[in-house]
Amino acid sequence: MNENNQKKVIQVTNLSKHFAQYQAVRDISFTVKQGEILALLGPNGAGKTTTINCLLGFLKPDGGEVSIGGINPVTDVVKARQQLAYIPEQVALYPKLSGLENLVYMSKIAGVNKSPQQFQQLLEKVNLPGHAIHKAIAGYSKGMRQKVGIAIALAKNAKALVLDEPTSGLDPSASHEFSQLIQSLAQGGVAILMATHDLYRAQEDAHSVAIMNQGQLVHKLTGNNIQDVQLESLYLEHVRVASTC
Amino acid sequence: MLMITLKKEWLESKREGRTMWLGAIVLLLLAGALFSSWHGYQQLQSQKQQVSQSERERWLNQGAKGPHAAAHYGVYIIKPDPPLAVLDPGLSDYQGSVLRLEAHKKNDTLFRPIQDAIPMQRFGNLNPAFIIQVLLPLLIVLFGFHSIAAERESGTLKQLLANGVSAKKLFMAKVASLTGLGLLFLLPVALYLLVSLLLTDSLDPGRSVLFAVSYGLYILLWSLLTIIVSSYAWTTRNALIALLVIWCAVCLLIPKFTIEDAVHRYPTESAQVFQSKLESEVYTPQRQQAIARFKQETLAEYGVDDVADLPFAWSGAQLQFGEQYSDKVFDRLFGQRQSQLEAQSQHYQVGALFSPFIALQTLSMAAAGTDLLHHQLFNQAGEKHRRLMQKTLNNDLKDNGADNAHGYQGDHHLWQKIPAFHYQYPHITSLMANYAWAALSLLQWLVTLAVATYLAMRRIEKEGQQ
Repeated sequence: MNENNQKKVIQVTNLSKHFAQYQAVRDISFTVKQGEILALLGPNGAGKTTTINCLLGFLKPDGGEVSIGGINPVTDVVKARQQLAYIPEQVALYPKLSGLENLVYMSKIAGVNKSPQQFQQLLEKVNLPGHAIHKAIAGYSKGMRQKVGIAIALAKNAKALVLDEPTSGLDPSASHEFSQLIQSLAQGGVAILMATHDLYRAQEDAHSVAIMNQGQLVHKLTGNNIQDVQLESLYLEHVRVASTC
Repeated sequence: MLMITLKKEWLESKREGRTMWLGAIVLLLLAGALFSSWHGYQQLQSQKQQVSQSERERWLNQGAKGPHAAAHYGVYIIKPDPPLAVLDPGLSDYQGSVLRLEAHKKNDTLFRPIQDAIPMQRFGNLNPAFIIQVLLPLLIVLFGFHSIAAERESGTLKQLLANGVSAKKLFMAKVASLTGLGLLFLLPVALYLLVSLLLTDSLDPGRSVLFAVSYGLYILLWSLLTIIVSSYAWTTRNALIALLVIWCAVCLLIPKFTIEDAVHRYPTESAQVFQSKLESEVYTPQRQQAIARFKQETLAEYGVDDVADLPFAWSGAQLQFGEQYSDKVFDRLFGQRQSQLEAQSQHYQVGALFSPFIALQTLSMAAAGTDLLHHQLFNQAGEKHRRLMQKTLNNDLKDNGADNAHGYQGDHHLWQKIPAFHYQYPHITSLMANYAWAALSLLQWLVTLAVATYLAMRRIEKEGQQ
């Protein structure tokens, strides 16, 4: 797909947000196009989650604006949220329901109608082990929960996927499997915004990387640049520089 | 959305186990109470019917005797139990259902079931109304306290909202599924209402409608209240504590306090004091003077000097005059007592502003015909019948006993002139003005909770916003 023809699905323009005296996000702008994976890096308190919460409509920006698929969550939060799927660090599911029941409930309540077979196929597609599909979520590992989260996103046919620390706490194998899943989603045209501390994953998976520190977007890399740089050094440089300013 | 929410809540409850067991116990209790109440009702109705028939036969076949002796012989009339008394016996146990009609006396009803109850029965007297009015709200609370609070605690609320689920729809689906669950417990009651309507011609459809609508609204109110509190609580623990406190206040404390306050504000005399007051105010020197005046007026009217010269039996006229004199005293004293009881009842209804339990209890007893007003209406009908009976007997003595005042005896023909007593419960629509406060209070609760619902929805909508 020609990069220029790709639609901008997630748009953040001059976004600012403060809590009392604390400026959490300062005038940041970025876009995530169809099929693009943007990794949002930054230390704790950099403003990544605040940015995501603004995109999800859980926080109202103080300045600038955000949009998902052209819809501003401030003006129509439900419609904006219908455009995206959200996978937090800990995918919140109902522990007494099975993976399949969680997927069916979460999807149907959001207005997604599919047959039981189609829902089951989605869980198979995200490589959830067959024996686990009908097992209560309480017995799932974090990786398995993340897979159910991805299946929910798949069921929704979301234009955008917002991930907040998705690989945190996953073992390398689960992390790798997860990475493959989101890459296949991106290939399907989903715009993916992934806030993470995992520099390796960012370098491996992302098409663009944005480094945030103290609420500001301090550096942005795209395309081959990501592979060419020592991301860890660059990251530490920006974080150190900012912290000594 | 409703069906999927219902299914999910059902699956969670089923797997949780405890609430399911609790629900099953309450349903079993309700079915048991309904069956036992229905069984008792059938037995009592058949006994009452038998007693009414044999009492009528006893009256008609009492043989020849003086009309006044027959008036003292008296009759017993039986208050029929309305079909909905099976669901809500209300005050029936405390009111008695047999009234003795006799000369010179206006009696209170006899044979109050509570007098025959062994002490242990006071703890075990479960009836369908009690279970629905008190235990079902508790069950709704236990089923629904975690509804939104648990979603908030576990993060699924944020997950759902982020998924594009409308907070309003989610809230309403939760309310609808909880209300649906509550209404499930009304099924045995609804079935009884339907069967009664189809098989019993004595059931006023208006009463069934009032009963069903009141209970339906009550369940909706508790469901709304539970979900609203759950929406505001940060933790499931807080939601449960708050709801249990509300349940305790609404179903136990406020009704108890309101009734104590009503009795304190509008006190009534004990039965003994009232009875002695009746006797002392009926048989007074003034009564003797009034009878003497009546005698003089009658003699003057007929231009005779002696009652023996009157064209009718003086004893019959004097007895009727005495009855009418007593009736005025009865009307005054019973009227005063009735006013106090009505004032207590109305004051209790005011408590409905603070407790939907009181509103429902009032409307439920009204629909069932087992409250104070219905009892008073029966007593009034009984008293009207007593007065008709006395008048018929006294007039007969007056008309026929002139020649042989002491020896005159009435027979079967006279006894037949006194009609059998048949009590028909009035249509509920004619009495609704008496329950306006309770009905309006229930609506006021609905409006208040509708406003709270709107605020709770907005709160969920803004979940996480700062």
